[in-house]
Amino acid sequence: MNTPLNTKQPPLEAIGLTKRYEDGVLALDNVSFAIEAGQLFAILGGNGAGKTTTINLFLNLLEPTQGEARVCGIPSHKQPLLAKEKVAFVSENVTLYPNFTALQNLDFFARLGNKTDYTADDYHRVLDRVGLEREFHRGKLRDFSKGMRQKCGIAIAILKDAPAILLDEPTAGLDPKAGRDFMKLLEELRSEGKAILMSTHDIFRAREVADVVAIMDKGRMIMQTKAADLAGRDLEAIYMQYMAGHNGDASPSETSYV
Amino acid sequence: MLGILITKELRAIIQSPKFVGSFAICSILILLSVYTGVREYKAAVSQYETATSLVSQELCEATSWAMMDTKSYREPDPMQIFVSGLSNDLGRWSSISSDKGVKLRHSVYSDDPIFAVFRFVDFAFIVMFVLSLIAIQFTYDAVNGERESGTLKLVFANAVPRARYLIAKCIGSWLGLAIPLGIPILLSLLLVIVMGVPLTSDHWIKIVMLIALSLLLFTFFIILGVFVSTVTRRSSVSFLTALLIWVLFVMIIPRAGVMAAGGLVDAPRVAEIESRRDAFAAEKWATMFEEMSSLDWDSGKVTADQQWDSIETAVRQEVDQYEARLLEDLRQKKINQQQVAWGLSRLSPASAYQLAAMTLAETDTEAKRRNEDAMATYRNQFNEYANAKQAEAGDTPGIMISVMMDSDGTSSLKVDADRDNAGLDVSDVPRFSPPHIGLAEAIAPMILDFGLIGFYILLAFSGAFVAFVRYDVR
Repeated sequence: MNTPLNTKQPPLEAIGLTKRYEDGVLALDNVSFAIEAGQLFAILGGNGAGKTTTINLFLNLLEPTQGEARVCGIPSHKQPLLAKEKVAFVSENVTLYPNFTALQNLDFFARLGNKTDYTADDYHRVLDRVGLEREFHRGKLRDFSKGMRQKCGIAIAILKDAPAILLDEPTAGLDPKAGRDFMKLLEELRSEGKAILMSTHDIFRAREVADVVAIMDKGRMIMQTKAADLAGRDLEAIYMQYMAGHNGDASPSETSYV
Repeated sequence: MLGILITKELRAIIQSPKFVGSFAICSILILLSVYTGVREYKAAVSQYETATSLVSQELCEATSWAMMDTKSYREPDPMQIFVSGLSNDLGRWSSISSDKGVKLRHSVYSDDPIFAVFRFVDFAFIVMFVLSLIAIQFTYDAVNGERESGTLKLVFANAVPRARYLIAKCIGSWLGLAIPLGIPILLSLLLVIVMGVPLTSDHWIKIVMLIALSLLLFTFFIILGVFVSTVTRRSSVSFLTALLIWVLFVMIIPRAGVMAAGGLVDAPRVAEIESRRDAFAAEKWATMFEEMSSLDWDSGKVTADQQWDSIETAVRQEVDQYEARLLEDLRQKKINQQQVAWGLSRLSPASAYQLAAMTLAETDTEAKRRNEDAMATYRNQFNEYANAKQAEAGDTPGIMISVMMDSDGTSSLKVDADRDNAGLDVSDVPRFSPPHIGLAEAIAPMILDFGLIGFYILLAFSGAFVAFVRYDVR
């Protein structure tokens, strides 16, 4: 039985999300947060902090040990297909199908996301929007640079037109210009009302575009604060202090659930 | 959704660089094998026709009913173009005479052993060895390859049911590989028609069934590749695993099954049977000569000819009966051995395919029995005819004895009566009719193999399904 979409529910919500792997490793420990429409939520953290695990739980690529990852109010582990219809995903290393052209990749993933009425013009438009030059629209992905593939990845997410977008370290390995262009796109998507969850190592970009910044370490969300509250403060120093096990300048009120 | 996934699989296969190479190799191999098969078949038909007309001529030139003998030839069948099976291993002819049993001799391979070294590449061989390998080559990384490249995670970030994805993988791969292979197959059939091979409706039905059987085996290897890709995480591991399973199914199990049956079921060799028969015959003939020498020839009660005829006939009958018992015993043991061998070999779908294809083409182990049985029946008819004719014509005057040596070193004794060199009227001599089994009879034994391959497909798909439902797509 499908759960009706609750428009009052935040597009992305983690409630006491916990994941313990079969080998006993606690990857995620009672993590809770909510991302409203038109909000960009950045999760910072080192390798193994639990950022990707959080995203995988929203995509139901993992089953939670406890708690729920909800997409538009739909628990992803209970109704995965319905939940996945409401979320788009861009991975760290977008490879797509190397023998397909950019247009063919877009067409396949758009159709997979139940968007069957797009035309070639629509695909060209969205590729233009993400900044992929026309001459590459019919180029095969195997000949693309990482930045170009990343543009295709975000184009696929745009075409899906889902209320929520999950980004797993999307700017890793991109050159500064490509990274800046990517962030501009995210700002546009946010202004369109998308709820965006982005995991990243890039403190500066997070501070630049995020509405809420969270820091994760060893499966726990150790800080969560509005970006506006970080005005005039050194996020890098805060991050390093948290990672070193100190609370630093962040007060309990700042780390509370947003 | 299924259509989208299948289309993507089709596109992925067709746009893959290895597709062009594989398609070209298969097309060339299939067309070449059929072309060579047609030429071999035509050569065999020509040889058969020459030999049978020579036999007719020899019969016309015979001068004694008592000593008349002939040869029966195994008729070539157009199906051997596609499945040569044992047709090149079985002898082409057997002598038909009162003093020698039926035995097929002079096979293609015994005459030209060079061909036996690597054997012929026919359609069945290509399906079993080449197409199966190509099927695995395209599917061994169907799932884990997408996981490694990250596309699997991207696909399952969408509302895609796993079962549907797996079915699409199988169907898409099948369509992507089977449809292009249909082109050289159709071209090869066209080649058969153009080259003037006489095909009856039964042959066409058999060809269609052979293609269906080949596609079934092809399907198995496609799904096997998908299965292996769902139980391994890395494509390098799945490649080696799939290759190992392929070697087991195509090369090891078929041979191991036969070898194991040879050890499990004891059956004497034909040479052993022949030596026992010869020993028995020698003993009987020795006894006969003793009896002959002890007869009182001077009493005038019986003539030497009468004595010779009655005793010789009795000895021959006794030796024939003894040989028949030995052969029957051997046949039973061979049947048991073969049943065990085929039973074990059928653990491999490739063996099931080969056995079914050979049965369909009538180039299986039964072909030898079928032909020898038909020739034995003909031998009886022929001998009865000659005996009846001899009785009508009365005794023959002078006898000519000639010792002949065949090219394979087999010596034979020919006894002929030169009765004024006049030919006999052999217009009503029985002619050998090569054995033909009906379509239903040819298809019936295949049903088991069809079912078995179908079962293996289900098994592989079930395994892939169970593994993929639990597969970590990250």
